[in-house]
Amino acid sequence: MKKLIILAFMFMSVVGQSQNFKFGKISKEELKETSHPNYPEANAVVLFKKQYTSFPFSEENGFEQETEYYERIKIYNKEGYDWATKRIELYNENSSMSQNLIGLKGYTYKLVNGKIEKSKLKNENIFKEDNNKYWSSKTFTMPGLAEGCIIEFEYKVKSTFLSIDDVVLQYDIPIKKIEIDIITPEYFNYNKFVSPRASFLPKIEESKKDRKETVVSKVRTGFYVPKSTVNSSSFVFKENVVKIYMEDLPALVDEPFTDNIDNYRAKVAFEYAFYKGPDGTIKNYATNWDKVISNIYNNEDFGGQLSKSNYFEDDVNNLIKTVATDSEKIQLIFDFVKTKIKKNDFIGYTSENGVKNAYKDGSGNTADINLMLIAMLRYAKIKANPVLLSTRNNGVPLFPTRTGFNYVVCAVETQDQLLLLDATEQHTKPNILPVKAINWQGRLIREDGTSTWVSLNPKSTSKKVVSISINLDENLSAKGKIRQFFTNYQAYNYRKNFYNKSKEDLIAYKERENPGLVVIELDTKNVKSKTKPVSETYDFTFEEAAEKIGDNIYVSPLLFLNKEENPFTQDVRGYPIDFIYPTSEKQTVTIIIPEGYKVESLPESTKLNFNDTSASFSYLIKQTGNTIQLSKNLEIIKTIILPESYSDFKSFYQFMVEKNLEKIVLKKI
Amino acid sequence: MLFFSVNVFSQDSYQAIVLNPDLQSNANAIVRSSTIDVSIEARDKIVITEQRVVTVLNERGQRHVGAVVYYDQSKSIKTLEAVVFNAFGKEIKKFKKKDFIDVSVADGVSIFTDNRARYIDYTPVSYPYTVVFNLEVISSNTAFIPQWFPIDDYYLSVEKASYKIQNQTDIPLDFKASNLEAFKIEKMSDYNYQANNLSAIKREAYSPSFYSVAPSVKFALKQFSMLGVEGDNNSWSDFGKWMSDKLIDGTQELPEIVKVEIKALTQNAKTDLEKAKIVYQFMQNKTRYISVQVGIGGWKPMLASDVDRLGYGDCKGLSNYTKALLDEVGVTSFYTIVYGGQDVRSIDASFSSLQGNHAILSIPDNNGYITLECTSQSTPFGYNANFTDDRDVLIVTPSGGEIVHTKVYSTNENSQVINSNIILDSLGGFKAKLNITSKGTQYDKYRRIEVQTEKENKLYYKDNFSDINNLQVNNMLFNNDKDNIVFKEDLDLQVDKYVTKAGDRWLMQPNFFNKFKTAPPRYKNRKLPFEIDRGFVDEDQYQITLPENVKVEALQDDVVIKNKFGEYHYSIKQTDDKNLVFKRKIIINKGQFSKEDYSAFRKFRLAIVKHDKSKIVLTTTN
Repeated sequence: MKKLIILAFMFMSVVGQSQNFKFGKISKEELKETSHPNYPEANAVVLFKKQYTSFPFSEENGFEQETEYYERIKIYNKEGYDWATKRIELYNENSSMSQNLIGLKGYTYKLVNGKIEKSKLKNENIFKEDNNKYWSSKTFTMPGLAEGCIIEFEYKVKSTFLSIDDVVLQYDIPIKKIEIDIITPEYFNYNKFVSPRASFLPKIEESKKDRKETVVSKVRTGFYVPKSTVNSSSFVFKENVVKIYMEDLPALVDEPFTDNIDNYRAKVAFEYAFYKGPDGTIKNYATNWDKVISNIYNNEDFGGQLSKSNYFEDDVNNLIKTVATDSEKIQLIFDFVKTKIKKNDFIGYTSENGVKNAYKDGSGNTADINLMLIAMLRYAKIKANPVLLSTRNNGVPLFPTRTGFNYVVCAVETQDQLLLLDATEQHTKPNILPVKAINWQGRLIREDGTSTWVSLNPKSTSKKVVSISINLDENLSAKGKIRQFFTNYQAYNYRKNFYNKSKEDLIAYKERENPGLVVIELDTKNVKSKTKPVSETYDFTFEEAAEKIGDNIYVSPLLFLNKEENPFTQDVRGYPIDFIYPTSEKQTVTIIIPEGYKVESLPESTKLNFNDTSASFSYLIKQTGNTIQLSKNLEIIKTIILPESYSDFKSFYQFMVEKNLEKIVLKKI
Repeated sequence: MLFFSVNVFSQDSYQAIVLNPDLQSNANAIVRSSTIDVSIEARDKIVITEQRVVTVLNERGQRHVGAVVYYDQSKSIKTLEAVVFNAFGKEIKKFKKKDFIDVSVADGVSIFTDNRARYIDYTPVSYPYTVVFNLEVISSNTAFIPQWFPIDDYYLSVEKASYKIQNQTDIPLDFKASNLEAFKIEKMSDYNYQANNLSAIKREAYSPSFYSVAPSVKFALKQFSMLGVEGDNNSWSDFGKWMSDKLIDGTQELPEIVKVEIKALTQNAKTDLEKAKIVYQFMQNKTRYISVQVGIGGWKPMLASDVDRLGYGDCKGLSNYTKALLDEVGVTSFYTIVYGGQDVRSIDASFSSLQGNHAILSIPDNNGYITLECTSQSTPFGYNANFTDDRDVLIVTPSGGEIVHTKVYSTNENSQVINSNIILDSLGGFKAKLNITSKGTQYDKYRRIEVQTEKENKLYYKDNFSDINNLQVNNMLFNNDKDNIVFKEDLDLQVDKYVTKAGDRWLMQPNFFNKFKTAPPRYKNRKLPFEIDRGFVDEDQYQITLPENVKVEALQDDVVIKNKFGEYHYSIKQTDDKNLVFKRKIIINKGQFSKEDYSAFRKFRLAIVKHDKSKIVLTTTN
């Protein structure tokens, strides 16, 4: 006990030395500051953020969660005004499942002629809106803003739920100081997890303290003459105290080609792990992945949906009665589910209305569709199992938790490989999941309830193979033919973009992208095929193929298919680049030299690797008789480029772009 | 027989598979039938009955289903139902009133709105499918009478559409029909129209706005009521008078202290214009824009005293507040209703009715008007390019409304001039200093550049000059002259390698910094005329110095193109051994052109793309 007091005392003295963060104690110095000393580009800064979460007790409702929030924000300029509007979402299903906002108060402070002037947040600045049946929001906007002002607000959220929201420690503006207290009665036990990819880790202190609650109860006594007596009893228990501090955090700034910037945000997540009753009994909610999984698996909305089969048996029997091999069955059932049920706007790993209803209505959430797929495959004696995962938007789960997952796909284990199937999108194939579902690893759950991690990263290369033949005429315009093949994700992307497009639209699209191109005849194959690569062939004329300057003719061998620009323009990066899947782009060009001309010079053949074999580029060109042949290849094998390697990778890419720009020079004989 | 027995659709089957092929071409959805019946029962009661049957052909057609009703407290919904049929006309899903999801219409801008919507959430299993939608609403707001747009978007065709309006009152009902002949729309009477077999319209580059080419009929009641506020509308003058008296009057009282403050601030100003500038700046410093869509149908401004106290308001509140301040210092200004947007859309001068989506302030000046955009804290006084320029607007004066035209930004006003000194180095890279001066519509870039961080601005230039690889932005300086509305950028750029190799030769594009990279698309058979809303002129002049080891082998001939769409000038000249001068000028004219002109326009633009990237040949001696 003594120790605790000393700790508390030390803490007090620390606060005393620095700024005063008591509500309303705003100093002129704070108001005078015109830009952030360390981050001069910041439009605003959170001077102090405090959160205090505890569980007050009442006889009516028992323990209920209550969180006090306080924020003081300095706004440097008008672009920072957005931070003066805050929206708080609240859930309200019924009195025992609800969140309430109370005690909102706030002020805006500014310096006017050297004096501090304040404007009060009033009811007219607060707007309540019912967004749908369960969710409402309260939005407030601080009045009387001016550049350089400081806003300050506090409010409480009361919640009947035990789950504690993630504590976000990094915003899109810098934070000067943050203090979080989470105080939980010993009955409710939480695991806490710190975001491992964040560049900044918080300081966390843990301790315990005593707490006493009194219960007053009326008891009717007396046998002949009823009378009531009032009993008062108290109970003493421990509380777990978690204190989180951080100081001087920079803003979190997103970068292009990042998987999900939230994965890099400093935060602490709390997971409700187990309940320990006063009598010592323990009820576990989630403590490790196996338990999380078995919990999910035993849920009627998940595992329960896998065991139902009567609703589809006739249809599936009919579907597969004439096929013998497993791979044919898989393909047929996969396509059947895709056409039979369409995804509604919801994702999730648990069924929304039940697979039976989804089957009947022809629409369901991702779980309805993929759980049904698994059930059907199992019915057809295929070894199919669910794989739980977290989508890219949802980030990488920090800890074993039910909510760490938000998506489910199907895995089929064959003798030599694992096939991942997602029937919620039209253009997915076995092992071609939608990009949103490719997020590190997923948890495969077998029928006996055991589970294991499986990698979601695509292993096979997605190829684009292009061959071009070019005839130059005397007017320097090129006539030619292009054939392109696309496999795996290259084909998936092609289908996603062009599936519904008419030939005319496709031609118009190509011509719009490449001024001077006229597409004469265009043909596509297998765009609607379920298994084959996509191919596209077209005849064209292109006026810009060659340029006559002085006496010579300059030809771009790749015509309009060139990547002329380096998309990696940042000087440095803070976060990795994610290419998602390995790719290979191979182009072969044949150019017929026009009559009366000869080759003056060709670009040099060359080959370059990045980080050994993480990526490679080759450019081989030669002349035989009156034809020039170029073969060019770019392969990206490792799909993650770390920030340390960024500058090398940028140079590698730049080398390629420059090489692609080089010209063939022809001369009149 | 695949027929169904729902009594409301007795006359026809909604099989999608026997659709007329003409209606399918270019269509994402087909309106099979649309019947709108409007009955005006009293000055404050209007009953609208609508049945809409839409066959959706593909995913992009889903937005045309239109099974949605927007409402506020003036509307009560009597009937609301929808039935979905599959391609064979078989009923697959039914939505009753309670199945329509009720949501607040959050527009992403407003933090609060009392407008709501009810819609169906239906995930199609396959295409085509057909939705039959029935709606009956009673509204007490007769300021809005539903307009008739039988075909209301691109890529949508119409089999049959009709509109009938019955006026049970003795209040005169005005109407205005547009573009009916071109679509062979039958007019049975002034108040009854029918359209048959309208083919889908394909979107084409530079088309005029859809509203100006599509058929429509508008209606307006000469005496109306909006949430209990009554008004007369025999002309724009009447209508403006109503706005002035009923919506604006009495909202402009300012607190004493502000009156004193603004008078003190303007006491030394000599002209009205100077006073207005001071007031505008005062307002910009004091307030910010927050959209709060409440008050009589979203049309009544907040009290000026509230805006003053809170420091925020929406376009109406801020315009009205500014007007109150201007009144206080004796400067005349008019509250003004406009269609705001990049697309030029005018208030229909010949038909008075509730129109517009934005409020601004107009100050009479010589023969025209100065427009004040009151929702921005950074816009210079009187600058309204690209948002409220060149269009008819309604000014509200105490004696009535009047339609006036806002400032037109002429081609020559909208200029960008780039001057640059470029020093090429022996490896084919360069260092360059650029001065960019932008005016008129092109001045608008300040909005972006001023709010971006240094890092974002560097990326912005890298993106702007994206065909120059590995560009380094060493220095950036900006000067925003708000008084003269001129934006200047001074840039210091560097590139390791700019030229392209061709054996021992270097190819270099002398047009370093300002290239047209795209041309409008080719159409085999263009259907719509085209227009350029705003003209502009760009002038570039670069002084290029070559390194010791480099000589010129071949230059490009001068190019001059002049036609009705504009002008293009290109010239690269050698002034001495080591120096070249590049000059380029481009003028794009504002104008409206026929569809026959389009291919010539495209040719002009293709020629610009070609010349803009043409190269000269340099030889290296080592």
